[in-house]
Amino acid sequence: MVYLKYVLCLIVVHVLGTSTGLAQEKVTLSGYLFDTSNGETLIGATVYIPDLEAGAVTNVYGFYSITLTPGTYQIEYRYIGYQSVTRNLDLSTSQRVDIELDSESKLLQEIVITDEIVDLNVTGVQMGTNSMTMQTIASIPPFLGEVDVLKSIQFLPGVSTVGEGASGFNVRGGGVGQNLVLLDEAPVYNSSHMLGFFSVFNPDAVKDIQLIKGGIPAKYGGRIASILDIRMKEGNSKELNVSGGIGSIFSRVAIEGPLAKDKASFIVAARRSYADAVAKVFTNALDDGAALNFYDLTLKTNYNINKRNRIYLSGYFGRDKFKFDEAQGFNWGNSTATLRWNHIFNQRLFSNFTAFFSDYDYELAFGDDELDKFDWNSRIRTFNFKPEFTYFINPGNELSFGGEFINYDFEPANAVGVSNGEVSDVSVARKNGLEWAVYLSNDQKLGSNWRMQYGLRYSNFALVGPGPYYEFDNPEPGQRRNVINTFQADKGETIEQYGNLEPRASLRYQISPAASLKASYNRTVQYIHLVSNTTASNPLDIWTPSTNNIEPQKADQWSIGYFKNYGAQVNFETSVELYYRQARNQIDYIDGADLLINEYIEGDLLSGDGRAYGLELYVKKNTGLINGWISYTLARTELKVNGINNYQWYPTRYDQTHNLKAAVFYDPESRWKLSANFTMLSGTPSTFPTSRLEVQGYLLPYNYYNSRNNVRIPLFHRLDLSATLTGRKTRKGRARKNEDYWIFSIYNVYGRRNPFSIYFSQTDDRPMPGVPIESQATQVSIIGSIVPAISYNFKF
Amino acid sequence: MRKAFLYLIGILSILSCEDQITPDLEDAPAILIIDAFLTNQDSVQTIRIAQSQPYFDNSALQGVSGATVLVNHIDGTVYEFVEVAPGYYRYDALANGSIARIQDSLTLQVTIGEDLFQAGSRVNRVPNIDSITFRFEEENLFLPDSYFAEFWSRDPLGPGDTYWIKSYKNGQYLNQPNEINIAYDAGFSEGGDVDGLIFIPPIRDGINPFEEDENDDFVSPFEDGDSVYVEIHSISNETFRFLNDVRIQTDRPGGFAELFSVPLSNVRSNIIYRGTDPEIAVAGFFNVAAVTGAGKRLDVTDL
Repeated sequence: MVYLKYVLCLIVVHVLGTSTGLAQEKVTLSGYLFDTSNGETLIGATVYIPDLEAGAVTNVYGFYSITLTPGTYQIEYRYIGYQSVTRNLDLSTSQRVDIELDSESKLLQEIVITDEIVDLNVTGVQMGTNSMTMQTIASIPPFLGEVDVLKSIQFLPGVSTVGEGASGFNVRGGGVGQNLVLLDEAPVYNSSHMLGFFSVFNPDAVKDIQLIKGGIPAKYGGRIASILDIRMKEGNSKELNVSGGIGSIFSRVAIEGPLAKDKASFIVAARRSYADAVAKVFTNALDDGAALNFYDLTLKTNYNINKRNRIYLSGYFGRDKFKFDEAQGFNWGNSTATLRWNHIFNQRLFSNFTAFFSDYDYELAFGDDELDKFDWNSRIRTFNFKPEFTYFINPGNELSFGGEFINYDFEPANAVGVSNGEVSDVSVARKNGLEWAVYLSNDQKLGSNWRMQYGLRYSNFALVGPGPYYEFDNPEPGQRRNVINTFQADKGETIEQYGNLEPRASLRYQISPAASLKASYNRTVQYIHLVSNTTASNPLDIWTPSTNNIEPQKADQWSIGYFKNYGAQVNFETSVELYYRQARNQIDYIDGADLLINEYIEGDLLSGDGRAYGLELYVKKNTGLINGWISYTLARTELKVNGINNYQWYPTRYDQTHNLKAAVFYDPESRWKLSANFTMLSGTPSTFPTSRLEVQGYLLPYNYYNSRNNVRIPLFHRLDLSATLTGRKTRKGRARKNEDYWIFSIYNVYGRRNPFSIYFSQTDDRPMPGVPIESQATQVSIIGSIVPAISYNFKF
Repeated sequence: MRKAFLYLIGILSILSCEDQITPDLEDAPAILIIDAFLTNQDSVQTIRIAQSQPYFDNSALQGVSGATVLVNHIDGTVYEFVEVAPGYYRYDALANGSIARIQDSLTLQVTIGEDLFQAGSRVNRVPNIDSITFRFEEENLFLPDSYFAEFWSRDPLGPGDTYWIKSYKNGQYLNQPNEINIAYDAGFSEGGDVDGLIFIPPIRDGINPFEEDENDDFVSPFEDGDSVYVEIHSISNETFRFLNDVRIQTDRPGGFAELFSVPLSNVRSNIIYRGTDPEIAVAGFFNVAAVTGAGKRLDVTDL
């Protein structure tokens, strides 16, 4: 703690020292940037002053602030895909200037660069960061015609998954549960519908996504691998719009519009799958209440109280339902609610206060009579308050500080069984956690070549009562640990507490206007853990807090990168990044681990070290009829856990040596647009047996060397195509009021049976006494055929 | 419950497909397998000793001959198991009487050449089966019109009893991996308090064969006139974990369910090699069970 205080003081003194002496002679230009057509704020837009060769970038709320010496300046407002606006401003006093920019085209034409250079990838200090607008996401050929946020980020370097159809994603060697997925600041604990085929984010309501893989700023914490920051649209503040679509899986509709012009707006977006609705027509098997469907509702409203205050309220509610009949079934889903208040204290001090709630729960019910049934549910619920401040000290320094307070409520399992009328409650005790963090970070420019962002985060987690906690024995590694002592904590009593310093730093050296070198380091700490020993995460997986037996996960990541753009209009963007990541207290599982409804779950968890390193190459062509990008990652991700693989390093299930992806868009000035993507991945590791055993008439695969993930399954490659046909702009010579377009897509064009896994088993026939049991190996393709799809989308 | 989850997965399997393949596997030396599941019944007791073989070698396992196989009772009695065929060692409890009563402890001692292998087991208590019933369920989304059997028995008070419930349809032992039915007290697993209850429904129902026809549609477990016979074997907690491993490693529904499979790993063993040769490895399990049983024939006019 002493160290922390020292560092914080140093930052404060240093930063304020450079600014206060000069403050009197300065003026501040600040404001918001909006899209003219719909009033949406623009995130990451540039405000540039050519005379000074200086500028600023709008934050996630579309706000910017620049402090400079009084004078008359030419100010350029730029945003990718939008017409730039240039203003000559007499800045003898501080001014608030809100600007609206016109988009170049309203539909699906994101990758058009305006006459000005936008080269944030080179000039920004951030590395390991990729942004995608919804227009780009919508251009990628979709699976079953459904545009999907999470499937799109898998086309970025450094991102992998255990395979097709798996939920979640892996970033630079991190597990699925090591990504912080934020929807308007609220964490989403399970981001999948239908076990992983689709993500829960409705593309109609998403404005912008940002994936941070390295150089994670100090304001983010709580997960060790990455941050996926998804921002929802505010809703059109100019006019009422209805958009939607009919696809193979979902029907979607979104309504957005002003509540008070330029003052308040809203968006409501809903989706529902309709496989079961269609099935009902063909079969009566669903008549007794059986159902299989999923839906989500996303809403947001904002109110621009005055020039200094703006509030946003957003919410998400989604559910997957699977019912065998009226009484029996399984459902799961997330709910989040976020209330935010942007307050501008003065032109240089921007603040945002967020209060949010996030809940993930699932529920199962079996047994159709009262005498024999089983009801089981599980939940994680968090309440969070997050004040954040940005102090635009001067063009050379932008100070961010703030904190976060999280209250966790874990209900691992509430389970009640009734067997022949006798009730037994097998619930697992609830757990409570309190996490808080404070951070301070500065983004500083030193001369015209150097820029750095450095900060420190201090995080603290306490597991608090009431509830039982346990002491376990220490058997041979890899075996179940048994409880030797049970303790009972009172309400509010701290059972275990952890505190950690998380230093973060990024550095950029500008070699030339179009080239820069960057380096970054970050330490991240994670106090809650996704417990999952299956190949892909599934909806029953629970989150569990750090306890006296489970230590927080920690990771250190170092990365360096070279960023270079080519062409007068940034025709090509390129980057090379290298990373090395080291992680401690990584969770793995004993063989035969019992992770559901287990009061003593800690006894089935193992802990070890992780390491990951890789090279990421990225080339993006921004201009021309044919544009798009290629990303390639060469990587290794390994774990070393006592009790597994003879305590030697072994690759994780999602380790991919080579990961090549290409997205190509052909964008002629016609009603047709074509896109293609290609994916080629090294086979993921798998454990193969060497031998067979027979015990009690069962054939058991056996690995003599006791190794884990000792073999790689074959190469994965796939081509997807899609064509977008935009509806006519005119009808009978008059401009149509409605806009519409069709998406025709083909997933897995050449129908390759890409392997997801290979498993070893005895054949399905019933073994006969005296006849040797037949062994077999089976290669599974999750999507083993061509999948064509059509969707129709509209807006009016 | 697990099966219910599989139904859900089955629906999603439309897009998935499977191919039988024969990948190259690493060579490995053979290891010793001692398969010693005995009971306290007055019947012939068999211990099988064999060598593992390459995974894809589908010939019968090579038995290990010439071993000395003894089961020592805590009261000092030694039961000698005699080799009747290569690798098969027998003790005739039908002629000579049961080897143990409930609560007795026994040790297995296998000597092969110079090498000694040992394991211990205690005969745990086992509840009686009160009755077996059949019920009819109408066709639903997953199953045709079906007759299900159910056994009724109560786990005795006191936590930590573990059982292996074996069932036979028309005299044929239900030996498929997805038919492994084990119980921890009256429920699925330790850690949940279901002590002293009538076995919970999935375990009561776990005595039904789980079979598909040539179109991969589930078939009714029983038809009029079929018989079912159920045995409860008391097993040690260690044996429960072993059989749980066996179930995890052998019951592979495949297809979309592969998304939620766990890594291949070696099943545990309670057989200890008493020598020092690092080349020697052993697998298998020793358990002596107390057994109760009951049977019934389905007569649909009774329902």
